[in-house]
Amino acid sequence: MGGGDGSLSLPRWVGWAWLVPGAFLLAFLAYPLVALGARILDGLGQSALVPVGTGQVAALAAAQALASTALALAVGLPMANVVSRYRFRGRALAQALVTIPFVLPTVVVALAFRSLVGPGIPQGLFLVVVAHAYVNLAVVARIVGAQWAQHDDRHEAVARTLGAIRWTAFRTVTLPALVPSIAASAAVVFVFSFSSLGIVLLLGGGSTRTLESQVLRQTSVLLDFPGAAATAAIQLVVVSAILLGGAALSRRSPRRVMRPIRLRRPTSRSGTIGVRVTSAGIAVLVLAPVLALAVDSLRSRGSWSLAWWQAIGSVDAGTTRIGSPLSALGTSISYALITAAIAAVVGGLAAVAVLGRGPTRWIALVAVVPLGVSAATVGLGTLLAYGRPPLDLRATGLLVPLAHALVAVPLVVAVVAPALRGTDDRRLAVAACLGARPTRAFLTAYGPVLRIVMLASAALAGAVSLGEFGAASFLARATNPTVPLQIVRLLGRPGEESYGVAAALAMVLVAITLVLVLLVDRLGTSRQPAAVGTP
Amino acid sequence: MGVKALLAAGIATAAALSACGGTAESASGTVRLLTHESFVLSQSLIDDFQARTGLVLEVVTAGDAGSMVAGAILAAGAPTADVLFGVDNTLRSRAVGAGVFAPYASSAADALRPELRDDTAGGLLTPVDFGDVCVNIDDGFFASAGLAPPSTLEDLASPEYRDLLVVEDPGTSSPGLAFLLSTVARYGDQWPDYWRRLAANGVTVAGSWTDAYMGDFTKGGGGGDRPLVVSYATSPPAEIVYASDPKPERPSTSVMPDGCYRQVEYAGVLAGASNPAGAQAVLDWLLSPEVQADLPLSMFVLPARDGVALPDVFTRFAPAIANPLQIAADEVAAGVPDWLAEWGAVMGR
Repeated sequence: MGGGDGSLSLPRWVGWAWLVPGAFLLAFLAYPLVALGARILDGLGQSALVPVGTGQVAALAAAQALASTALALAVGLPMANVVSRYRFRGRALAQALVTIPFVLPTVVVALAFRSLVGPGIPQGLFLVVVAHAYVNLAVVARIVGAQWAQHDDRHEAVARTLGAIRWTAFRTVTLPALVPSIAASAAVVFVFSFSSLGIVLLLGGGSTRTLESQVLRQTSVLLDFPGAAATAAIQLVVVSAILLGGAALSRRSPRRVMRPIRLRRPTSRSGTIGVRVTSAGIAVLVLAPVLALAVDSLRSRGSWSLAWWQAIGSVDAGTTRIGSPLSALGTSISYALITAAIAAVVGGLAAVAVLGRGPTRWIALVAVVPLGVSAATVGLGTLLAYGRPPLDLRATGLLVPLAHALVAVPLVVAVVAPALRGTDDRRLAVAACLGARPTRAFLTAYGPVLRIVMLASAALAGAVSLGEFGAASFLARATNPTVPLQIVRLLGRPGEESYGVAAALAMVLVAITLVLVLLVDRLGTSRQPAAVGTP
Repeated sequence: MGVKALLAAGIATAAALSACGGTAESASGTVRLLTHESFVLSQSLIDDFQARTGLVLEVVTAGDAGSMVAGAILAAGAPTADVLFGVDNTLRSRAVGAGVFAPYASSAADALRPELRDDTAGGLLTPVDFGDVCVNIDDGFFASAGLAPPSTLEDLASPEYRDLLVVEDPGTSSPGLAFLLSTVARYGDQWPDYWRRLAANGVTVAGSWTDAYMGDFTKGGGGGDRPLVVSYATSPPAEIVYASDPKPERPSTSVMPDGCYRQVEYAGVLAGASNPAGAQAVLDWLLSPEVQADLPLSMFVLPARDGVALPDVFTRFAPAIANPLQIAADEVAAGVPDWLAEWGAVMGR
């Protein structure tokens, strides 16, 4: 384990590492939030403090989020059970499949669902709920699965010998034991659905709304900035309350000793069938929308065609008014690279600061705060802080990557900090004893791990940037849309071609995202085993 | 406010002129036109303008009209462009209130249609074009059904026309909002009741003009089942212009002349512009007979200038709307949030 005496021989600069993430968070989280607050005060006396209809939208969004959470749990729990507890052929594949919807950009998911249901099912609440549940299957399967795998089956065995039927044993013994992880995952799913934007815009048909989509509407349709800022603030409060509540619930149970996970084979015939049906169900559920999207990108006027894919490459593509799809891809990739660089440096230094002593190690905790701040809040706050004179950074093209880096930094910290703490710091002492200068000793001890996890976290940050829609919709310049924005704009235009090109662009995004996530996964497993445990 | 803004504009002009270093040109250098993504003009007109004035015209498009004006409000007083085109009568009040524009009275304004001549928000804006949002009719549907097409807003709520109309959500669509405003203008405080009757009569609400026209409308190519749609008075000529060859003799759709809402698009010099003289030159140019004559076929809007000849396809298939409905810009800005909330409550959306 890390810590201990090793910190004595850490190079001096580790003690100052917190300055970079500290300054970044101050400039791009705290100041934008202050700008948001100032705008609310601006509006005092001009109009109603809370815009008309906000309560109603919040109530509808909460109902929608509850339904999405219930559906995600209903489908995700059986998946968690099968994937995390049973040994069967294709288990690794099933586990990877479950994760796919979560890493796909929300705009892509929304488009994929449009392709899947066709014009038959009208847009609205139902589609939104189904898409939200789809995206969040991984949240339920992973979080609940981790606890379920740890669960000791002997308790059920006892209950059943005492005469309880299977369902009663599950309800009275297993379920209560899983409450903390179910609560934790439900809180995450609820918050995601409550503050959803891309899916709501593309599948909601205008009638299903969230506070997040209201913020966008208030800024770009009603031009009511104080109202938008107030709505964003209300959402911030609700989301923080839910996340804190979820965290409190999941901490209520006493910590148990971690047992080594033992996968079992299904014991009965019905068990075997259950496992088979569930794993086949996972494959169909996850892949159907993506395949429908792929097919739509290859169909033109009722026959197979590469026309839409060729239209990505040509500059005009009948979409001159909104720029070529290829240039959007260029914009997105360059934003992703800048995001990866900023997030890796800022998040990496926040993680390194944890190694030091004293209060500055708390920077890693503070760096996780942006997770609770919605995309529209980040976007609007950044726009108010840096999108107008005297500080107008819009023309530099840096606003989008900076906002994306803010979103990605918590993930970088989550990847890098445990890896650093898990590194054996005796090497540091050895190197120091052999006469190495502190920085050299630090690199000897942590360099190999850092190199891998920094690469992994940069890839992760890049993937986040490529798919991000909410903040970009406030900050991107109209002449330089990112790919998700371009997809939404294409969908706002009539014609089969707009839809086909959007589908092809979305498939490109799917491919790049999957490659990046695969890379992260590979890099993650190539780390030393010691780095796996989190304190 | 007027004096102060005038003074500010005067200082800005003086500053810009002194920055020119005393060259003879009253307007020179680069001038930036901030506009929405639907802005189109024939390239030859832009070339002419640049050759004639020596100015370099840079067109900056910033999303749809709403996003464009939102950006201008954020940058009020220190804009990134010199002149703005494309703020309409539903959006203009907020922009004017935020101090986005500097006063300018173009000499060409005298040539505008009489009803638009004084529509300047106190000398800050100049009307450039207008258009009407009207219910469009699939003529073939009514001919084969042996039913007279509806002719008034009132007809739309009558049982003969049950389940035939699709409108856009006023919260997400500009023509949708215009149609809501036309009902507010017509029915006053009783407008929610009219919408209750529309709902009882089976109206469909789509999220956007694209969804409504291309999806639900019978003549939009999307296989929809609604022969009545809220669209533009210029949609029938657009149908001919956009048709692939051989073009049809006449459009398959027509316009219901009652209950149309008039949208006016304005241009204005931006307060704090770095090239105010250039901005004024662009504004004058937008009102010139050449640009005004180009508007119908490039943007499907009608010229604000009086006596500009319209293309044949417009005179034949886009009859002038006699008494369009309109609500004063200040009333719109003050009322829209409440009206949208009320509309949502009535329609259960």
